[in-house]
Amino acid sequence: MSESVQRALAAFRRALDRRVLTALEVCARCGICAESCHVFASTGQLQDAPTARSEAVRRLYRRQYDPLGRIFPWWVRAGEATEGDLDALSEAAFATCTLCQRCAMNCPLGVDTALIMKAARAMLAAAGKAPEMLVQLADAAVARGENVQVFREIYREIVADLEQQAQEQLGDPALRISLERQGADILYVALSGAHTIVPAAIIFHAAGADWTLSAFEASNYGVFLGDPEKARAIARRIVDEATHLGVRQVVLTECGHAYAALRWEAPGWFGGEFPFRVRSIVELLAEYIREGRLRLDPSANPLPVTYHDSCNLARKGGLLEEPRVVLRAAVQEFREMTPSRAEAYCCGGGGGLVAVPEYEERRLRAGRKKAEQIMAAGAPLVATSCENCFLQIRDLSSHYGLAVEVTGLMELVVRALLGARARAVRVPALQAA
Amino acid sequence: MGSWGWVLAGACAVAVNGLARHLVLLLGRPYRPEMARPAGSVAQGVLYAFSWGMLPWAKESTRRHMLAYLRGVVFHLGIGAAFLALLVGPWRAQGAGPLRWALVTLSAGGAMAGLGGLLARVVETRLRRLSTPDDFFAVALVSLFTLAAAAAIVVPALVPAFYGLAAATLAYIPFGKIRHCFYFFFARYFFGAGFGRRGVLRWGKVHE
Ligand code: SF4
Ligand code: SF4
Repeated sequence: MSESVQRALAAFRRALDRRVLTALEVCARCGICAESCHVFASTGQLQDAPTARSEAVRRLYRRQYDPLGRIFPWWVRAGEATEGDLDALSEAAFATCTLCQRCAMNCPLGVDTALIMKAARAMLAAAGKAPEMLVQLADAAVARGENVQVFREIYREIVADLEQQAQEQLGDPALRISLERQGADILYVALSGAHTIVPAAIIFHAAGADWTLSAFEASNYGVFLGDPEKARAIARRIVDEATHLGVRQVVLTECGHAYAALRWEAPGWFGGEFPFRVRSIVELLAEYIREGRLRLDPSANPLPVTYHDSCNLARKGGLLEEPRVVLRAAVQEFREMTPSRAEAYCCGGGGGLVAVPEYEERRLRAGRKKAEQIMAAGAPLVATSCENCFLQIRDLSSHYGLAVEVTGLMELVVRALLGARARAVRVPALQAA
Repeated sequence: MGSWGWVLAGACAVAVNGLARHLVLLLGRPYRPEMARPAGSVAQGVLYAFSWGMLPWAKESTRRHMLAYLRGVVFHLGIGAAFLALLVGPWRAQGAGPLRWALVTLSAGGAMAGLGGLLARVVETRLRRLSTPDDFFAVALVSLFTLAAAAAIVVPALVPAFYGLAAATLAYIPFGKIRHCFYFFFARYFFGAGFGRRGVLRWGKVHE
């Protein structure tokens, strides 16, 4: 047995907790879940069915843990792990499974194939068979946490520019973006790029929120690698920052996996609940709208809009109604996709697939089901609240000729907010005339 | 106790012992419960998982594969009836008529469903490719056991065949695919608890 296979099996042993073991044991191979996976639904190839995917792991599991698999391997299709098996598994776990859990919702027995695939990713990462790009991104994030002082100074200058942009867009020089301000109510964690900072700054300012910006990015590539050590190290930067600043809430930008990781998984990595709440900006938008803290003019968004539920926010995160509250207030015509919410199809870009250039062709193929759904909704604008979904749907639009624009909820809210402000200025002017 | 009694007791011991081993294996693995502040209710999720969530129309997959799903439900009801027939076997002669016929109907129906499932595994390419030899064997064994349960009630001469198949089924439970009957309860619990806690499953429906 090669050294990398040994490392893989050791990592698998660590990942094999009660839920993973149950998921491996319980499958009856009835095949009922096949079409619930967007990949199988798009390609029709058996290796893309959730069962086929998890069988690749069961093969190794049975050989190691099942007496029948050790004595009569052919009877239960058990097999000794080889380098070739790990390469094939890498295709199943990293290149085509987005860990979306749609199959788990659809299995009569409750098999969670995503959980099995996460264990497989952990194995593959340990064996050095994870996609290089994901490894690099995770390592870069860890390094950024270690050299934070140098980085903070550069970031402060960038933030000053963004503040000016936001002021100009809103037409309000009183708007401020503070970086890591002690005692703020909200620590907002963005992604790299102005598009997740400027709209948030406008919204927070308009809602009168007491907020400050994090020095770190929300995304956590350690989660995609199934590597709990790296995932924890990346999350720790934000946890330490929030604890040090004494904020009451950490609010994550429109990013599905960042939310699922920090909101749901991270407390387990650190051994308990955090002294602050973890929320998505989508929750806050809905809250501000319900409380009447944002005056919106939906006519500023006149085109029909449909919404793609990010798996991490909806099915895995429980944020099902909040985006709808936002859309009903911010756009003139909102059209649901079918199916939606917890039953929504994955767009095909999750699980880190969007970040890996060599997976492009596969993820576009796997997105066919979502492309059909978008087409059926018939709206020229697709809103989503996850960066990965945003990129994937934009690619799907050009690949399948959907001719749709993709936007985020914050962007729609800002447009509606600016529309309401412009109107408020116009109306008194007219009255005066 | 007659010789069949000893055989069945032995098979039962193998089943119980084997499943106990599975329990030890399962409990020996780390448990990593979610520690985040809940957004929904674990109890509601679990309730959903074991009740409404099992209804044929509750999931897209079972709506799509309604026939296969119902076949599975009838098969498992038949298995339950066959085990009940085994349990009340010594009092077969005194058994009330309606109970006997209920057991015959359920187990015969279960056997047909099981054999239908076996046929589907052979005929349908997708299912055949997903199946292991153990899958074919386990479904065949349990279908025959269920069939024998129905037959033995009607034709007492078949009781030894029924007992033999029951012993084989019991003894095989911990080794092959049949043990999913044990893991099922854990899997549904984890499913319901996980999605319930995150506010995705609520009593009566998937939050859709
Ligand atoms: S995962 Fe569930 S639905 Fe899919 S084959 Fe296994 S038991 Fe059937
Ligand atoms: S988790 Fe999603 S992508 Fe992976 S097998 Fe299940 S449905 Fe398919």
